[in-house]
Amino acid sequence: MSQDQPAVVRLHRAMYMQQAIKEAANTFADFASFKIVRDGEHYAVTVSDIDGEVEGDVVAEFCNFALHNTMQRKKKRI
Amino acid sequence: MAQHTVESVDTAAHRVTLALEVGMYPIEVLYGAAYVFIDRCFVLLDKDEGQSKGGRYLVHLRGKTDFSEKELLDLSGEFGNELLSQALRRKIVKQNQKIIEEITTQAIAGAAGGTLPTDFLDSSDDGMDFLDDPLGIAVPWEDKFKKKSAEQP
Repeated sequence: MSQDQPAVVRLHRAMYMQQAIKEAANTFADFASFKIVRDGEHYAVTVSDIDGEVEGDVVAEFCNFALHNTMQRKKKRI
Repeated sequence: MAQHTVESVDTAAHRVTLALEVGMYPIEVLYGAAYVFIDRCFVLLDKDEGQSKGGRYLVHLRGKTDFSEKELLDLSGEFGNELLSQALRRKIVKQNQKIIEEITTQAIAGAAGGTLPTDFLDSSDDGMDFLDDPLGIAVPWEDKFKKKSAEQP
């Protein structure tokens, strides 16, 4: 069972790294489908086919993962 | 603006949005504060142009559990405190960077049992050449013991 309505999250390119977002999308690939496109200053991430049986908010958890991955990657750069 | 401001509080969505000027804190400080809250909240960072020169950072915090309005406002206050804490931590690390590196280098060198770079600074010249052999180590065994073995019957 999956939720019909896709959700769109806009992540600012100055705050989130593309690779970090992709990594987070891979992490949640079993629970939803992700499409990442550039949209001006943001990355627009369309989250669809969200597994309805998953407890919790997949989109919000995905955003947390994307942020955490970005922090980790920036830390490595330093 | 001297600190962050609460942009909006949405009790229905259990979400609070904070705004702070871009120049107020380095982005690493913002990341550091967000990291502390990531286990309790859903954190979304954003940026808009705002009215100031460099724009504003927007921090959306949404509780993983149901948060009341008071709890959301407390959360925003805690986030402000964490920003200050991270900024101070960063300043102290920067100030003491050289000392930290020096101590770490000495600790690692000491643990490895090796010599420190400073050991090579005072290299007194003993006037010896690398070919000198005062202990006779380079003398072949046959030359050393030839006479003795020849004298024995």
